[in-house]
Amino acid sequence: MNKTSYAETAARGIRRVLGSVDPRAAKALIAAGSLGAAGSTLLAWTWTTAFPGDLAVYGYPGGNQLITLALSILTLLALGSALGTSGLTGTRWLVPRGRVRLLRGLALANLASTGYVLIAIAWELGGSANLVAGGWIAGLTVLLPVVGAYSLPKDDRPPTPPRPAPRPVQTGVIFLVVLLGLLVADFGISTGYAEEFIGFCLAAGFAGRGLAASGVFERFSALTATNRPATACACLTAAVLFAFLQTSDAYTTVADNILIFATVALGLNIVVGLAGLLDVGYVAFLGVGAYTAALVSGTAASRFSSVVLPFWAQAVIGVLVAVVAGLIIGAPTLRLRGDYLAIVTLGFGEIFRITMNNLDGQSGPQITNGPEGIYGIPDLRIFGYDFGQTHIILGHAFGRFANYYLLLVAVTALVVFIFSRVNDSRIGRAWAAIREDETAAEAMGVHGYRFKLLAFGLGAGLAGLAGLAGLAGLAGLAGLAGTIQGHLTSTVTPDQYTFSASAPPNSAFLLAAVVLGGMGTVSGPLLGAALLYLIPYKLQFFADKQLLLFGLALVVMMRLRPEGLIADRRRRAELHVQQSRPAEEKTARSSALRRTGSSGWGSRTVRRRGASSRG
Amino acid sequence: MSVTILLQLVENGLVLGAMYGLIAVGYTMVYGVIQLINFAHGEIFMLGGFGALTVYAWIPGVAHLPLLAALPLMLIGGVAVSVLAAVGAERLAYRPLRTAPRLAPLITAIGLSLALQQVVSLWYRLPGGVNAKGPVSFPSFSGKAYDLGGVLIQPADVFTLAAAAVCLAGLMWFVERTRGGRAIQATAQDPETARLMGIDTDRMIVLSFAIGAALAAVAAITQGLRYGQISFDMGFVAGLKAFTAAVLGGIGNVRESMLGGIVLGLVEELSSGVLAHFHTTAQYGEAWADVWAFVLLILVLLVRPQGLLGERVADRA
Repeated sequence: MNKTSYAETAARGIRRVLGSVDPRAAKALIAAGSLGAAGSTLLAWTWTTAFPGDLAVYGYPGGNQLITLALSILTLLALGSALGTSGLTGTRWLVPRGRVRLLRGLALANLASTGYVLIAIAWELGGSANLVAGGWIAGLTVLLPVVGAYSLPKDDRPPTPPRPAPRPVQTGVIFLVVLLGLLVADFGISTGYAEEFIGFCLAAGFAGRGLAASGVFERFSALTATNRPATACACLTAAVLFAFLQTSDAYTTVADNILIFATVALGLNIVVGLAGLLDVGYVAFLGVGAYTAALVSGTAASRFSSVVLPFWAQAVIGVLVAVVAGLIIGAPTLRLRGDYLAIVTLGFGEIFRITMNNLDGQSGPQITNGPEGIYGIPDLRIFGYDFGQTHIILGHAFGRFANYYLLLVAVTALVVFIFSRVNDSRIGRAWAAIREDETAAEAMGVHGYRFKLLAFGLGAGLAGLAGLAGLAGLAGLAGLAGTIQGHLTSTVTPDQYTFSASAPPNSAFLLAAVVLGGMGTVSGPLLGAALLYLIPYKLQFFADKQLLLFGLALVVMMRLRPEGLIADRRRRAELHVQQSRPAEEKTARSSALRRTGSSGWGSRTVRRRGASSRG
Repeated sequence: MSVTILLQLVENGLVLGAMYGLIAVGYTMVYGVIQLINFAHGEIFMLGGFGALTVYAWIPGVAHLPLLAALPLMLIGGVAVSVLAAVGAERLAYRPLRTAPRLAPLITAIGLSLALQQVVSLWYRLPGGVNAKGPVSFPSFSGKAYDLGGVLIQPADVFTLAAAAVCLAGLMWFVERTRGGRAIQATAQDPETARLMGIDTDRMIVLSFAIGAALAAVAAITQGLRYGQISFDMGFVAGLKAFTAAVLGGIGNVRESMLGGIVLGLVEELSSGVLAHFHTTAQYGEAWADVWAFVLLILVLLVRPQGLLGERVADRA
């Protein structure tokens, strides 16, 4: 008997034991376990404060205990909706694909997160003797819901359309969910130590899987799809509220950076995700925008320091120059096969860096100060609002980083708006057609070259805009060290804009963020950028391995989940033609593509052979 | 500008071009059989250099041999590492994606390229614990340069040119005269039909990766010998330029790729040499050398995307 059959026998045995548990007993197990775990968070888990996060105090939860408490309460709530023979009436529409999957996800999340912390305590402090009673209780009680949830029979069923709720109720639900999301995101960004962040990621990951499997996300995205304005309002409110939740600059800076990178990644997503063009030198367009704006910002280090333009004029010029650069690169290459574009953009990124380095008066005319960069860029001033000063708004002090945060929220909102409007228009449909089969698209009268060039130019322009806004945020990066000396400098240097720089935003980071998050989606790059920024930021282990992380993320995602963590609705429809709703069948793809197991972007079933690549 | 300087520039260009050509053949071989631009080829090249250095530095006694005697061992080490990496990448990363949309293998290749660079930068160690986060020194010939009427020819240049000539001749013989080579050509022309004729196309694809990797390893050793150092990120620019060379010659075509490499090497050396000559500051030439290569790439794509000589489909391999 070989190894796999041992494992199979064991699995079958476990399944038989679990299956024999009475459902009522299983529910009791879940309830008891969750209550016990929730209670244990009020106790100390370890005797010493050597482990971070207040785990050694009685009476209230701290650090990782908060995660356990939240997950236990969520499990209890999910269990509550599953009580009775067919579940509590009225809650079924929330979990269309079955409550048991949700219970399993939450129970696993609690086991993973809590179990990880307990092991971390024992590991870091040198032995399980460092766990006190509370810790043991937590460890044992988080096991029970897992056993219970897996011995409940699955209550899967095909999702049914929800009964239409009144508009105000729908709006209320959206606001509630988005605000909950804000709290979760805020907790993740403000986690104080590595173990808490890992515990948070484990919890969010497993719980997210449970929520997705039980159809909660599906329900919510259907709700947002019919309530676009309300969703937009809710998201904006949440984003602004985040600034009010922060008391110091520390996490606002993090949020600033995440927003810049997410915005740029979103711009890249238009090029890569919507039009299916692989642009690996995207960050150079960001650099073009940033350099252009820096030159006309009026800093003394600029060659044209006498030119001082207001913000809107900087924005217009920065975007225009970036678009022109995009057209110069795109016009010759977009006529050819997609692969050429990748290598030419890679080359362009390198040319940009070399050129900016060389325009220093030594190797070329003096324009950019070479490697030193253009420094001392003044803070923005829009309608008399000085971004460098602290302002009191509604009783909350908005410092420099918070000011830029608000600006970045506006820029992100603008990019999201453009992204979704374009995607839902004739242009978006043309892009979808081109990326799936350019030959067929052209036969249908879609002008492939023109639309590809449009995507490329639009992407470059958005990068230019973000580059301008990014000036502020990159100042944040430099500023982190600078504040210590009480002096903030805003600088652009060539090395900020390379394919694999030591810190984001580099093209590798952006591409990884788009691919990890989900190509062609709005929330994908936001999630991807947040994860890829936070992981090296929070975990010292990854600090010098972030490029390795980006590279592996690209390879692994392509193998295991090419549609990204958040799959696009249109893409999903393309992959599952039979189940899709009539409105989405218009864009559904031929069955030939499904046979190839493709995820739906940039594919071409009939590969034209050879390098006779015009077209 | 004297004739001697011009000839010296031509000599430099030829040597540089021979190296680009050796790398370019790798892009061409892989592109020929599966129409994939193997972005990670630059890193395969870099790994070849580190493989050779490992043999030199870690195997006791090799460093004490005269360099000419140590070179064959280093070649074996470098080629082995490169081929292993290329074949591993093909099996683990590219093959599962062969039916996937075209963007997937491209993105995988970019990810692989990043990851391989970082693995070397983070974990490669020389004896004595020297890490490879910066350039590491590579053995170089100690002999004096040959003086040919004022044109200086370094010993490493002779090795480079000889290696390129031998490799190209060997490759041409293999591709055109042997059963294996014809099988690769058949796979490149029409994989389905080739399979019907009893050719194991998967093996031919692996073989193409391996041949390209072997030549890249030779190129990496010549680069190490010429500059006396190698670094974890040297594959990036070298790979870009070699790709330019491949496009210049007409990608998918072995002989023309080599020619493209030589043209690119000459253009690079002459343009920067001439620029340096006519300008007061010397930096003007060298600092812009890399830019010309990419400007040339864009011009070629704009004017003549099928390559200088155009594509001859029949003898593509």
